Amino acid sequence: MLTLTNLHAGYGKVEVLHGISLEVPKGQVVTLIGSNGAGKTTTMRAISGMIAPREGKVMLGDVDITGRDSHRIARLGLAHSPEGRRVFATMSVNDNLLLGAFPRYTGARARGDIAADLERAMDYFPRLKERRTQLAGTLSGGEQQMLAMARAMMMNPEVVLLDEPSMGLAPILVDEVFRIISRLRAEGVTMLLVEQFAAAALNVADYGYVLENGRIAVHGPAEKLKNDPAVQAAYLGGSH
Amino acid sequence: MKRPLLLAAIGLALLVGFPFIVENPYYIHLAQTIAIYAILLFGLDIVVGYTGQVSLGHAGLFGIGAYTAGVLYMHFHAPLLLTIVCGIGATAAFGAILALPALRVTGPYLAMVTLAFGTIIQILINEVTDVTNGPMGITFSKPVLLGMVLDERAYYWVCSFLLVASLIVVHRLLRSHLGRAFEALRGSPIASDCMGVSVYRYKVYAFVISAGFAGLAGSLYAYSERYISPNTYNFELTVLFLLAIIMGGRKTRSGALLGATIIVMLPKLLDDLALFRYVSVTLAVLVTAGAGLLVARGKTTLARSAIPVAGSVALAVLSFVLTSMTDWRLSIFGLITLLVVYYLQDGIVGYVRQALGWRGHGADDAAQAALLAAPASAVSTSTAGGAGELVAADQVLMQFGGLKALNEVTLHVARGTIHGLIGPNGSGKSTMMNVLTGIYVPTAGAIAFKGQSIVGRTSARIALAGIARTFQNVQLFGEMTALQNVLVGLHHSYRSNLLDVALHLPRFRREEREATARAYALLKFVGLESLAGEEARNLPYGKQRLLEIARALALNPELLLLDEPAAGLTAPDIKELVVIIRKIREHGITLILIEHHMDVVMSVCDVVTVLDFGQKIAEGTPAAVQSDPQVIKAYLGSEAH
Repeated sequence: MLTLTNLHAGYGKVEVLHGISLEVPKGQVVTLIGSNGAGKTTTMRAISGMIAPREGKVMLGDVDITGRDSHRIARLGLAHSPEGRRVFATMSVNDNLLLGAFPRYTGARARGDIAADLERAMDYFPRLKERRTQLAGTLSGGEQQMLAMARAMMMNPEVVLLDEPSMGLAPILVDEVFRIISRLRAEGVTMLLVEQFAAAALNVADYGYVLENGRIAVHGPAEKLKNDPAVQAAYLGGSH
Repeated sequence: MKRPLLLAAIGLALLVGFPFIVENPYYIHLAQTIAIYAILLFGLDIVVGYTGQVSLGHAGLFGIGAYTAGVLYMHFHAPLLLTIVCGIGATAAFGAILALPALRVTGPYLAMVTLAFGTIIQILINEVTDVTNGPMGITFSKPVLLGMVLDERAYYWVCSFLLVASLIVVHRLLRSHLGRAFEALRGSPIASDCMGVSVYRYKVYAFVISAGFAGLAGSLYAYSERYISPNTYNFELTVLFLLAIIMGGRKTRSGALLGATIIVMLPKLLDDLALFRYVSVTLAVLVTAGAGLLVARGKTTLARSAIPVAGSVALAVLSFVLTSMTDWRLSIFGLITLLVVYYLQDGIVGYVRQALGWRGHGADDAAQAALLAAPASAVSTSTAGGAGELVAADQVLMQFGGLKALNEVTLHVARGTIHGLIGPNGSGKSTMMNVLTGIYVPTAGAIAFKGQSIVGRTSARIALAGIARTFQNVQLFGEMTALQNVLVGLHHSYRSNLLDVALHLPRFRREEREATARAYALLKFVGLESLAGEEARNLPYGKQRLLEIARALALNPELLLLDEPAAGLTAPDIKELVVIIRKIREHGITLILIEHHMDVVMSVCDVVTVLDFGQKIAEGTPAAVQSDPQVIKAYLGSEAH
């Protein structure tokens, strides 16, 4: 569904990604792990058009989306739940979710039953249901994170990019986030997941890539990476 | 070092020699005007470029400078130097008045208030006829300096001298701790306050200094024109000044010089068709070449550069189609301005720098810092007071409307310990941090730090008293380098005043050297020394968190509050963080740690307090808290962590 070929990207004069190739097949969850500064978030940003790649290709299905503006890429069905919960603080939870469905209102994506999907999102995240009229800015960090994920789902996306969904969450919520990711996977949602808890990410993913200094160091089925002694030593030490 | 010196020498020679190259007094007069505008723009850039405030009141300030000189000259026949000094003083005082609204409002509101200020000044000058001669204006005879009557050329040299002096003073000022304080205001006001840099005070300073330069420019302008009237200092002029900053490029002195040249020369050039043809063709060639270079280097796409190239080429073609300039002059001036402002958002200087790949001075400073001798210890050692309680917060109530974010929470922290603060999201942990650092004033309750109440004190005062913090959502000064961020934290170590900075007196040089060495050592302490010259916004998230810790340590705190330092870090980075936290404690610094990674909390904390819905539900050793059924239910979840 999503294919990166020899992707180079960076900020200013600094190149962060030195040729990344990876593939997210339809209906699978693929995780990208690596230490801080390895280029995980940069990869996500280059895919969703927040920064322009310098070289290489990004394909969404059969459409070349390399270097397109992010709003165009979003309309083609790529939802990005960014690092650090960027919710619309002065709008209600409900309106935040409906904005997630914006491309469906404008006809850029198949409309379907938006009201039903809204209820389904609330069902996934019962905490949002309790607070649907509250302003998003007044939600706690964990609730904002859930809202960002739910908003991404409202687009009925082809692919979801989840950047650090568990960041800053209480342990009890971290478990819930991973439960939700497994549930979405069971429903056939295609996802690219970046996570600080590499072990937990490999538990819910089908396939994993390990990023080191802007290059893919190892990749393989999640099961296999989990049991790889080198990966274990470098990334799986400690739990949450 | 050599190339800038050579360039400066050539520039200076051109400046001094200009009246010999061009003898036409009309052009010498234009050069005077450019120098005068540039002085004002240096000052305006402090407010607009560095502190990030908008000011539409600078034409008003310019007018105050001119009229201070005019009134003193007309009524008292005061000599040139005295009127200039009084012009600077009076305008600086008005700058303080202009700063008052900036303390309360920002953005479009501030623009409106400063616009009103400028308009009121203009009306006042017009109405107070007894003092200002009203709409009739004031006429000057040729300026006299030290008994010599100055002709156009001599006065040009006076202006040039003051231009160079202003350039040096502004440049030194902005690269000192004062300039960093101004820039920090733009990056994050909350973080500035929590680093002991009072937002309130430095906003006023910025406006006062900026107004001082506007006053100098205004009084020089009065003698240059030899006639002043209220109409000059209108809204149009204020917009022209802002345009000059934006077109030239903010946060650069060369940008201010270029901007001044453009706003003075461009309308004149457009008077003459032949000149206009020459200018537009040059512009088209420059834009096309620049775009070509950027596309070749892969910095922009062909599609994005098509419009500016097409626009400038169309302008060049238009210049040959036109037969008369007069009807088109203003429209073309507007079009060129629009093109530059829209496409070169960092201004012309910023664009050229980017195209040529020049580094900012921040990177050079960082390279220099590495060569300085390291101080004995980067992290201050806090031994005063020995054991006992450092923080005693009793029955703290923090109410937002009907919501009790903190409901009578009592938190006592023993000196030299690491005190964990955990709880579900939204339980009031960050609110507690904000109450302790003065960002919120608690609705009720008492907070004592080292036995003294800190309730109601400003964040800046609390920071200077010894409480430093990091932020859950990172609050770095994004456009500043890592080294400069830490230097803002070291602001308290400077005693130098404006004079020390402007003249680079030994006191300032010593303090700057010591602070830079210390800042570099602090970066080394958290393992970021190799990134000292990198802009904070370009650092990866985990490194930004470490930089916040280094910046907080620069305050020499006795108490350090860390708000989720491990968020977003992977397992190996967390191990490094734990080592750093332990090292900080070894220096006798007390820590309060908010964290969701239970392995971190369990391995470093001496005592852990658990909050839920604004109330304390448990407190004790990590092991006791971890097995507390209420904590497991509210926070940890059923599975073992």
